[in-house]
Amino acid sequence: MEGLAGVALAIVLAGLGFWHLIVRRNLIWKLLGLNVAASGAILFLVALAHRPGARPPIVGLGPGPSVDPLPHALVLTAIVIDFATLALALVYVIFLTEHRHTQDVDRLERDEERGWPQP
Amino acid sequence: MKVLAALSLLSLMALLALGVSGVFPRPAVPPAEDVAAEWGAKNVVATIVLGVRLWDTLFEILVYAMTMVGVKLGLRLLRWEHAIPPVRETPLLRRSADLLLGPIVVFALYVAVSGHLGPGGGFPAGAILGTALLLLALAKGVERLSAEIHEPSLEWAEYGAIVAILAVAGGLLLVGRRGSGYLIAANVLIALEVGIGAWVVLHRFASSRGEV
Amino acid sequence: MGAILFSALTLALAVFALTQRRLLWGVIGVGAHSLALAGVYLFLAAPDVALTQAAIGFGLVTFIYLLALRRTGKLTVVAVETPPLLHQEGQRVAGLEWEILSRFGRHLHQDVEVLWVTRAEIPRLLRAGEADIGAGGFLPQSEDGVLLSRPLVPTRIVTVRYAPGPLGAVAGDRGEDHLPADRATYEDHRELASALGAGEVGGAVTDLLHVRQWILNGEIPPVVITDHEETSFRLAVAPGEEDVHQALDAFLAKLEANGELAQLVRRYVG
Repeated sequence: MEGLAGVALAIVLAGLGFWHLIVRRNLIWKLLGLNVAASGAILFLVALAHRPGARPPIVGLGPGPSVDPLPHALVLTAIVIDFATLALALVYVIFLTEHRHTQDVDRLERDEERGWPQP
Repeated sequence: MKVLAALSLLSLMALLALGVSGVFPRPAVPPAEDVAAEWGAKNVVATIVLGVRLWDTLFEILVYAMTMVGVKLGLRLLRWEHAIPPVRETPLLRRSADLLLGPIVVFALYVAVSGHLGPGGGFPAGAILGTALLLLALAKGVERLSAEIHEPSLEWAEYGAIVAILAVAGGLLLVGRRGSGYLIAANVLIALEVGIGAWVVLHRFASSRGEV
Repeated sequence: MGAILFSALTLALAVFALTQRRLLWGVIGVGAHSLALAGVYLFLAAPDVALTQAAIGFGLVTFIYLLALRRTGKLTVVAVETPPLLHQEGQRVAGLEWEILSRFGRHLHQDVEVLWVTRAEIPRLLRAGEADIGAGGFLPQSEDGVLLSRPLVPTRIVTVRYAPGPLGAVAGDRGEDHLPADRATYEDHRELASALGAGEVGGAVTDLLHVRQWILNGEIPPVVITDHEETSFRLAVAPGEEDVHQALDAFLAKLEANGELAQLVRRYVG
């Protein structure tokens, strides 16, 4: 039950985040959408590892079969990498804001078409 | 544009739903307790992260370190128009930060050292360590704190931690002996690497906007 | 049961965060969403992942967003590029309004950031809380719905005409009100000037400052000018920012009283 609810939630979260990643025009809003989509992907893997009535993958912690520990090991590193790439992306956004004075994607594209700013 | 986005979104969600619908067979979970017992550990996830999938973790740490170097270089290239005056410090905040720092660092160490027995491990311990240093920076001011804890030597400690992780892992691969001592050492080193990396990035972000 | 409750909370927080209008609330909402997600992981029997998600997703990610926003303690100005008043000079911003805004920022101990937008977008961004001040030759229009500062530089709305054909104006500008039925609107004054040069429109309704700028740059010849009304350039303030509005008016009154404003106007506009 918990596993299925988790999978459903993960799919909805991934869709929600992905939608905002594509439709929003402000770069920081896009990054927030990416954040939610990534958390959906992580939840998807963790929910897949769950079995009904299973215990945590720690020896001697309750009865019953253990959940699959491999997805947990995968997403543990993915969470840390998410943070690192987010920091790098924010540095690029700060760069754009300092040099082009805008965070709007449409505006940036229009400036590129008009050939502004001149080097 | 929006139609394309909606189409790709729907196909993504359908793909995810297909993955759990039972079309693809799901393998039975192998008994992980034996692996954990072989390494002298109780937490199966820690055994997998540091043992069976060691290469994965090593390259992940390298990616993390590279990203942090990229952030440092990027923020160094920026030039800011003028600095914001620092926040006035309050005695209460300063005192509570001084009091809290010790327990938080000890807790991070506990999470790292007991990572092979219970929930925990190097990555959450490093995050807790970085947050503790940021808490201290909130109370004391970023520049004073970074002068107090010798930032350049801290950065060298980060690179040293990476080299030490590689050395420990390489030694393990060469010697082939498995034990909980290796797990503890690797967890503590990963905590150092992640914690110092997080602190350095937060410090660069904070000092480039003036103050926390 | 607990799992369903936490799942609903996670989803609700994600929706709350992504539908906010202020970035600050969005960041806080995503942080709370991460924390609720850590609870869901606990119910899915993944304590390691829950601990990592709580420490990184709630602690580090929220902090790094807040630091990168530079928004708490920052004035965001949305503006149209208007050469003598506010314009980009290589890497830096210059102009009369920039002198005033940067002094005002120092007065409030806040960083000032200028984002270039089009005239029609300014009221929308101010009302949405995405920006604090609108500038760049801002002429108030009746349906804008924003707070207005004291007048900065007086000007007039005029019609220039040197060929038969429809009249053009900038979308959202004051001049749009005086357009006849035979009309054409453009995104900014640069597009309007190039349309005049190309002969797409026979004339334009705009303010005297822009007409003077075009004639000085040789983009249009000196032409017949019809007068409409007296008005003046002002700064626009977001409707929710009463404090900024009062502080800005007090600051401008001080500049007027000690004669610095008149000096600046002489130097930049002449």
